[in-house]
Amino acid sequence: MNDGAFVAWLLAGLPLLGALASFAFWPNPARLKLSSVVWSAVSLGSIAGLSNQLVIPPEGLLPLYLLPLTAMVSLLGQPPHADHRLSWITTLVFLGLGLCVVTSQPPVSSVASMLLFSVVALLLYRHHSVLWPMSWWGIGTYALGALCASLSLAVDTPLSSVASLVTSAVLLPLMPFHDGHLTAVTRLPGNLPSFIVLLLPSIGLHGLATMLPTVPDVVAWTVSLFALVGAFYGAVKALAQTRVRLLLAYSSLSFFSMLWWFAAATRSATPRSALLVGTVGLATSGLLVAWQVVRTRYGDDVDPQAVSGLASGMPQYAVLLSLLALAAMGLPPFGVFAGFMGLLLSAPFPSSGGLVITLLAWLAASWYIMQMVQRLLFGLRRPELRYADILRAECAALLIVVLVLLALGLAPATLFAPDQTMSATDSITGSVVWTKY
Amino acid sequence: MTIMLLVPAFLLVAAAIVLIGSDSSQHARARMAAYSIGAAFVGAVAALYQVTTGGPLAIRFYDLSSVASFAIPIGLYVDRLSAVMMTLITGVSVIIYSYSIGYMYQDRHARRYLAMICLTDFVLICMVSSSNLMMLFLFWQVLSYLLYVLAHNHSHAGTLVGAFKTFTLLRVADTAFLAGIAFAYQLYGTLEFQELFVRAAEIPIALSLWPGMDISGATAVSLLFFIGAMGKSAQFPIHLWLPGSLFAPTPVHALLHAGIINAGGFLINRLAPLFGLSSTTLHVAFVIGTLTAVLGATMMLAQNDIKKTLGFSTIGQMGYMIMECGLGAFSLAVFHLIAHGLFKATVFLNCGNVIHKARQEPHFPYVDYQADEGGLSRLTWFTGFVTTLFIPLLILLVTHGVLRIPLLESQGTVIFLFFIWITSSQAILTLTRLRQVASWKVSAAMLMTLLFIVFVYLGAAEAFTAFLYPNPEEVASYFKAADLPDWMFDLILIMATVLTIASWSYLYLRAHGRTVRMPAWIEGLRIRLYLPFMNRLYADEFYHLLGNGIMRLVHQLDKRERGWSR
Repeated sequence: MNDGAFVAWLLAGLPLLGALASFAFWPNPARLKLSSVVWSAVSLGSIAGLSNQLVIPPEGLLPLYLLPLTAMVSLLGQPPHADHRLSWITTLVFLGLGLCVVTSQPPVSSVASMLLFSVVALLLYRHHSVLWPMSWWGIGTYALGALCASLSLAVDTPLSSVASLVTSAVLLPLMPFHDGHLTAVTRLPGNLPSFIVLLLPSIGLHGLATMLPTVPDVVAWTVSLFALVGAFYGAVKALAQTRVRLLLAYSSLSFFSMLWWFAAATRSATPRSALLVGTVGLATSGLLVAWQVVRTRYGDDVDPQAVSGLASGMPQYAVLLSLLALAAMGLPPFGVFAGFMGLLLSAPFPSSGGLVITLLAWLAASWYIMQMVQRLLFGLRRPELRYADILRAECAALLIVVLVLLALGLAPATLFAPDQTMSATDSITGSVVWTKY
Repeated sequence: MTIMLLVPAFLLVAAAIVLIGSDSSQHARARMAAYSIGAAFVGAVAALYQVTTGGPLAIRFYDLSSVASFAIPIGLYVDRLSAVMMTLITGVSVIIYSYSIGYMYQDRHARRYLAMICLTDFVLICMVSSSNLMMLFLFWQVLSYLLYVLAHNHSHAGTLVGAFKTFTLLRVADTAFLAGIAFAYQLYGTLEFQELFVRAAEIPIALSLWPGMDISGATAVSLLFFIGAMGKSAQFPIHLWLPGSLFAPTPVHALLHAGIINAGGFLINRLAPLFGLSSTTLHVAFVIGTLTAVLGATMMLAQNDIKKTLGFSTIGQMGYMIMECGLGAFSLAVFHLIAHGLFKATVFLNCGNVIHKARQEPHFPYVDYQADEGGLSRLTWFTGFVTTLFIPLLILLVTHGVLRIPLLESQGTVIFLFFIWITSSQAILTLTRLRQVASWKVSAAMLMTLLFIVFVYLGAAEAFTAFLYPNPEEVASYFKAADLPDWMFDLILIMATVLTIASWSYLYLRAHGRTVRMPAWIEGLRIRLYLPFMNRLYADEFYHLLGNGIMRLVHQLDKRERGWSR
């Protein structure tokens, strides 16, 4: 076994070891949570220390850093309660499997993908309710993902490329394979939605980066068409939502579809793509944690329309939620904006019409996210609500997300990988939209 | 060089002073922060002196050759335009902030409010001294959000609706701006101002919108930037956010109308070489500006609320300013926005006092008993006639005959003269409304007004043009690019002349108790138009319907689609 493979096993093994070790604290939820947070931090530290010995993937190292960080944030944002213990342990298991997919080579990475799909599907099945018949579609989509991951190992090209593409489309949601994403974000228990919303898309991007250069033109064209439809569809659906988790699921679908459009056009997934996926995932994760803060106070089934005036009663929470919302809707100086602009500027866009749809979807985010935040934070104080500002752990979780998003918005994109973008001259000559005279 | 950094730094320090500390020292700290803003103003004046004597200053915290590798390239570039804007913003901010300390005293959220004012100043300063389009856009967007936050009283339903409307309308314009940036980079490969101008001039690019319909690259990019400018400068039809934000504290309006709303004019001036490459964009700007000026001024006359009146007055003035840009008179637009900014800030700060006084005194504002006042004498009317009709004609003849300026070939010079005439007529018409009994005073005031306006336009505005754009050829090229077709130019001049003379005649006849014979349909139209203009042409209702329509469509699509939200 060479050094790179050993490091990959080590990075993936640490969180799994942490999951095992945390079992020791099963009777004590507070200590179990602390242990999970510590193991996530250890995982982050190990990546920081050992990343120079890894083969840098095409999308760069950013997802590697963000995975344990998001796991830590999602854990921190949860109140210590016996009901959440399984989700904390599962977080570490997911983290281990995720790191294994990103750092290992096939067939190990494919096997890890299949395992991940299976565990997610199993969890969704366990939490299935007759009130949510739609979750069958999500479970089915993840089953399809697992099938395609195994097919990509078993068959030759071009079938394996198509199977890999479908696997990536399930992980990094692309219409019509987005039901899994919606189900996972809305139905998984505890802190898992706020972790999975970054984990699965990051893994999907990793697969995309290796597979995209090999897909035929017609497939890339079809993908870009679905991506545009997905960006618009996600934005429209998000506009219609009142339930926060569903709104965020559709919102992230819209942004991830934008990434698909750019990726299909350039046939590559660069560190800029990773920046967009990572920051959209992180911002959505932060908003899910922020919503968890409300649920912790007013109940899991709280109607968002029944909560208002948080800004006056919970000022710290209000500031952090506002900043997160700004980041999530793609405003500068946060990372989502940087990722979006990075893609806009790094490659020629294939069509002006596509650009218009993408920009409209970007604009719509200002509407639905702002409306959601405004509804929660402002308006009249309700006498029936008890306003208690965020606790230290919740504050730390949200603050970390805000600061990381800010740092990613300002840091050069080349920080996590060498720049691989095309030059400006190439972008002019390569376009088919205009002609020089 | 360090002055450039000190100006925004002082404003950040002011925000920090306000924010950090105990409640007991809040008022003292608020006062202390005013000195920091004052220091920023001094720094801006020093920067103005430095760039005037030593040329533009630039600091870049990034590698120019690889701008694409940085998502947000941070850098400062201060030339004369930036320095003038910095001086205006910091100068007005000192006054507004000092006023706000007393105005917001004992407000529960005064600390947040004052810090936001400092932060807005910081963002404005960074925006006007941005070294590239990306950085400018960054602060441009932050400003959109700050306008939402500055509405301040978010527990009030009306404020919240206005703030949301402000944010969403500005975001629509911001999206066009973003598209402009993307196009500019795709076409010219740079977002650095000077490089962009050079490449845009050197690389003629034709974009094919659809078969048979081509548009130049410079036109496409500048049109998108213009839409961005329309948003911030409240141009028709995306002007509604400005009157919609009237619930914000009065000093916010002063800052908004004196500083923030000038952003559109600044953007067009900053990109003047790019706009100068596209006659189409300049003509569009002229049309939009004219429409906004006319509609804004007309709606202003029909409002019955002091803040709305002032708000629509600003919209009209901004239209006037954009119209100047559309005519190629970029420096004149900056001159206009400075003068308007100072004037409107003063008026807004005073309007708070008027509202306060009106609440305390039931008879305030006093009723204007026109019947008790004497009419204007023949001397006044004669002076009015001479100053508004005869002297401008004399100037025109002197310019054309004696100075041998080829007026017919130079629309720019005519535009300058025309603005002198229109402005002085407007000022003199306003003076007649004072209804002074001692009419020789009015006559003298009319003459002084005319002299002042002529002096300002021919002296100060010309000097200011030479200051901002030292190269006369550049100025001439802008005028040339903005040239309207001769028939249209003549038609506009004739129409404006006829309107001005007709207004004078109408006023004269009415003042002398003569019956002005008007066709019945004109009288009827005047009455019928009053209601729509008082209701701001029902644009609020239109946007409301549009928003509802979109949401209804969204919900219908949502219901038809099998999915999670069922």
